[in-house]
Amino acid sequence: MDQFAIEAIHLNKTFHSRQGFFKRRLKSTLAVEDVSFTVERGELFGLLGPNGAGKTTTVKMLTTLLLPTAGTANVLGMDVVKQTAEVRRHIGFAFSGSRGLYNRLTAIQNLRYFAELYALDPEVSRKRIPELLERMGLGDRGDDRVETYSSGMVQRLHIARAMLHDPELLFLDEPTVGIDPVGSRELRQIIKDLISLGKTILLTTHYMAEAEELCGRIAIIKKGKIVALDSPDALKRRISGDSIIEASIKAHQAQALLDQLKSMDEKTSIEWRNSAEPEMLSIRTPEPARVIELLSPYLNSEHILGLEVRNQTLEDVYVSIIQGEEA
Amino acid sequence: MSGLSWGLVHEQMTVQIRVRTLNVFSLALYVFQPAVFTAVGMLLSRAAGNATPDLVYSVIGGGIMGMWSGIVFTSTYDITGDRRNGMLELIVGSPTPLATVEGIRTLANVISGLFSIAVAFIAAMAIFGFSLSGVNVWGAVVSFLLLLFSLWCIGVFLANFLAWSRLSGTFVDYLEMPIAFLCGFMYPIRILPGWVQVISGFIPVRWALEAMNESLLGNTDLRFLVIHWLAAIGISLAFLFITRQLQDKVHDSIRVSGELSSI
Repeated sequence: MDQFAIEAIHLNKTFHSRQGFFKRRLKSTLAVEDVSFTVERGELFGLLGPNGAGKTTTVKMLTTLLLPTAGTANVLGMDVVKQTAEVRRHIGFAFSGSRGLYNRLTAIQNLRYFAELYALDPEVSRKRIPELLERMGLGDRGDDRVETYSSGMVQRLHIARAMLHDPELLFLDEPTVGIDPVGSRELRQIIKDLISLGKTILLTTHYMAEAEELCGRIAIIKKGKIVALDSPDALKRRISGDSIIEASIKAHQAQALLDQLKSMDEKTSIEWRNSAEPEMLSIRTPEPARVIELLSPYLNSEHILGLEVRNQTLEDVYVSIIQGEEA
Repeated sequence: MSGLSWGLVHEQMTVQIRVRTLNVFSLALYVFQPAVFTAVGMLLSRAAGNATPDLVYSVIGGGIMGMWSGIVFTSTYDITGDRRNGMLELIVGSPTPLATVEGIRTLANVISGLFSIAVAFIAAMAIFGFSLSGVNVWGAVVSFLLLLFSLWCIGVFLANFLAWSRLSGTFVDYLEMPIAFLCGFMYPIRILPGWVQVISGFIPVRWALEAMNESLLGNTDLRFLVIHWLAAIGISLAFLFITRQLQDKVHDSIRVSGELSSI
């Protein structure tokens, strides 16, 4: 058995389109460039990046929905270009949003249809559909039309659909996008449950807390290229040991505080956000104790309304990488 | 068609009829379209000086026209709608070949189109007094079955073309009326200029329809009918062969262009 559930080797994808009415010009867009990574069996791997970074294009190449322009990819030991039909039988995928279901049909009717597309034995699908609906918390809504479902319910139904043929490997593309916090939490629990069942999952998201909570390893993709790949903790360590001090301040008091912090060297960076009340000072520093000491005369209701010191989060790392401070 | 099973046929037909046919808009289309075409046919027939309406070409022809429009409209919407709502990706990403799904869906569309024909026949018989006496019933039945088969073959061909690109739907819409014009849905094909008849000879529907109309008018010339039936079968199979040759290319092409999805 192949060690890796996914092995992407120098994947490239370029889209070509024609522009212009009379004089047709060929325009090429490089969506994914030289992407290589591996995902081990049973791992929950995160692919993070801003909109248009190439996450979905990468997933679509791995799920056989797009042909790579160059490079190769093996999924469960099978080549995604040469063994398309085999790959499709062994993977499941769910894309975000309300697309991908017939809204005028009930959940059970939708699942029954996909069970046939995946050539499931009728006996198996009769048993599995109610089981999956139950597991996704939709047991009592199976006979309702999908058009009556909330976004969270639709997303859970997508996962149920992707799980119908009990695939070893699941691709979940931004599963919690547009879902309220309670729904997101339920979905994250479902994803954790799937991992405990031994499934391998490739998850794309741009919610850092979600990636930090769920993923064993994370690849950050920017403009089609992987710019960082490691565990969340290692990524956080990679950027620096800086702390973040967030101070909420009274209006028109920022200048006094900025003057007070002038003595800090260039390793400390200060961001002043004054677009909303209260104004905020965000101070990234390797010397949090010294900053607090400098600010202490101002820790009163006339200047600083609140102060929070925290370590850097994955989101800080992500923003730092995406904004190009580290690549 | 690989991946074909009775369960898939049943489920796909059920989905197709629930999603595409059983809604007010589609049902109205299947009744409204033939009614409009029939009315136009009868007005033209009257303008040509006929004392009684031409039931075969005007009334039943209107039904055929409605059926054809329904098939074109639904087949186009099948792919463009699925492309828009993300279903096309999920179907292509499943182990069942898209060609198999298209074949079953087109069959469901042809069967749904029977509603138009039924409405037209009922109108011809109940309102205009059309009678089966003098009709070559067996000739008409065989021709009608071949008409359905040739419509299915054209539908499968179009479905494959529609899957190829987001723009294909527009071109298929353009084909609706020219095909109806070329196949003589509402008039005898012999009134068309010779060169147009040559072009229409490449469309299988034309042969099956001409045999059906002649049978309804009482033609029992077996040689005439057999030639038309064989032409309908032969050209339909040619369409299927071409479709089969193109299916793999379309499957690869849409995965290169990324046109499985509309976003």
